[in-house]
Amino acid sequence: MNNRPLKRYSYRIIANDFMVAGKGSSSIKSNLKSLGIDATIIRRIAIISYEAEMNIVIHSFGGKIHCDIYENKIVLISEDTGPGIKDVDLAMTEGYSTATESVRELGFGAGMGLPNMKKYSDNFEITTGSEGTRITVTVYL
Amino acid sequence: MNFSIMLDRSKCRGCTNCMKRCPTQAIRLINGKAYINVSKCIHCGECVKICPYNAYTPECIEWHDEMNNPAYKYKIAIPSTPMYGQFPKGTDICKVQNAILKLGFDYVYDVSWAADLVAKAIKKKIDSDKTTRPYIATNCPAAVRLIKSRYPSLMDNLIMLREPMEIAATLSREMARKKYNLKDEEIGVFYISPCPAKLLAVTNPIGDYEPSVDWVIPLNTIYGDLYREVIKANNNTCSYPSLEGIKWAVAGGQSKNAKLTNYLAVHGMENIIQILDEIENGRLSDVDYVEALACVQGCVGGSFNVVNPFIASNHINYISNSKQYESFNPDIDRFDEMYNSGVFDYMLRDEDNPMKLNIKEAIEKDEKIKEILSKLPGLDCGSCGAPTCLAHAEDIYDKKSLLSDCVVLRAKEKNQEE
Repeated sequence: MNNRPLKRYSYRIIANDFMVAGKGSSSIKSNLKSLGIDATIIRRIAIISYEAEMNIVIHSFGGKIHCDIYENKIVLISEDTGPGIKDVDLAMTEGYSTATESVRELGFGAGMGLPNMKKYSDNFEITTGSEGTRITVTVYL
Repeated sequence: MNFSIMLDRSKCRGCTNCMKRCPTQAIRLINGKAYINVSKCIHCGECVKICPYNAYTPECIEWHDEMNNPAYKYKIAIPSTPMYGQFPKGTDICKVQNAILKLGFDYVYDVSWAADLVAKAIKKKIDSDKTTRPYIATNCPAAVRLIKSRYPSLMDNLIMLREPMEIAATLSREMARKKYNLKDEEIGVFYISPCPAKLLAVTNPIGDYEPSVDWVIPLNTIYGDLYREVIKANNNTCSYPSLEGIKWAVAGGQSKNAKLTNYLAVHGMENIIQILDEIENGRLSDVDYVEALACVQGCVGGSFNVVNPFIASNHINYISNSKQYESFNPDIDRFDEMYNSGVFDYMLRDEDNPMKLNIKEAIEKDEKIKEILSKLPGLDCGSCGAPTCLAHAEDIYDKKSLLSDCVVLRAKEKNQEE
């Protein structure tokens, strides 16, 4: 089986920029829509990519989101340049959040980001360290 | 297939109104005249309503000949619920029914009777299956076809109950067969329709059922004859319609008839598109039933009606609350037997379900179309004969159009030459 995706959509995500936050995931959504992907799948990818994008905006120094299309699956890769997640198990707990008060005032940081990404995916992998966090999420078509 | 929306080319001025309005982008302008792509058309009638030159006309010629077809020994008329709203307020509904008989029918089966039954089936299905939410109504053929073409993932939400028109045809046909000992082909069932979509439901149904209606008569084509008979009529006795069932004519009426409390009635093409987007995005799963009706105000807004939809709604409400009539339904006791035997239900056929996506081809096509699109100006002006630049790019990809059809590009080239 060929491991290269048939198509890759990539977006650069800038830290702390709430003005454009969400643009990446809505671009992913419209790209998948124009391919004719099933709406239920798009809905899941949209939720996952939005949460990934917000995580990069809120918690990281900046990063990228790639949406890879394969014959039988869509893989979403979120990678940032740090500072990493201290306690992944804790971060995976619903409602647990390290977001600052100012971020919460904007309506973000409810502690549902990672749990939601996992919930809507078929496969969820996370590696993290001070040099960055990489999350690979798979949704089967 | 007999097609129910025809364009009078001498009236069409190529103004692009219908093309821009069409919710499935089924219309193109070729040499300055509109053309409907039959395979994309959902018969919603938006083009009929928007055309400033009245170039679109209903076209179901056959029913006229079929009225005189000697093979039919018994002819049944099924008037749609909005029909009662098409006459001046206070017009006796029995005079309307008797006027229909005068046009050459042997029997009138009121669709409101079937509506009562379908309403009960809606309630029963919603109460028995709490997992599918929201259920989406299947009585508007245009809305169902919109879902099929633009929201295939919502096909599973369709409640899939045959519409009152069909149930009325089935019951009246059965009555005629038994009472007069007739064969099916000796009975002609004619539906008097408020909209072009009903024709499509009869000639090309979605689902695995055999349509019971034979012919569809556009209401506005017989309205003149009918009204003359209504004025002349002096017999004001008849079998009354169900005063609850006729509420189906107006949006929200079927939910009221079904005694639903947690429903959403949305009408008008733009509005139903918004609500279907919401459902597709996973919202509204806390709603039991969505009445999605293509026309403003519901079936009273159908393009074959004569009276303004809001005025017709007022008439329907007036009749429904009138003390002059007694609500009647000859078949209401048959509900349990009918429900249990599966008369209301239907299943989707293979061809009704969305085609499986070939992702590789889809990506290649998408890339090529986007490449073409990047050359187009993005003004969506419609001058090329396609409703948007994207639609034009798709047409070029399908080899139905040329890049040079773009007026803006041609003007730019001309400027450069000069």
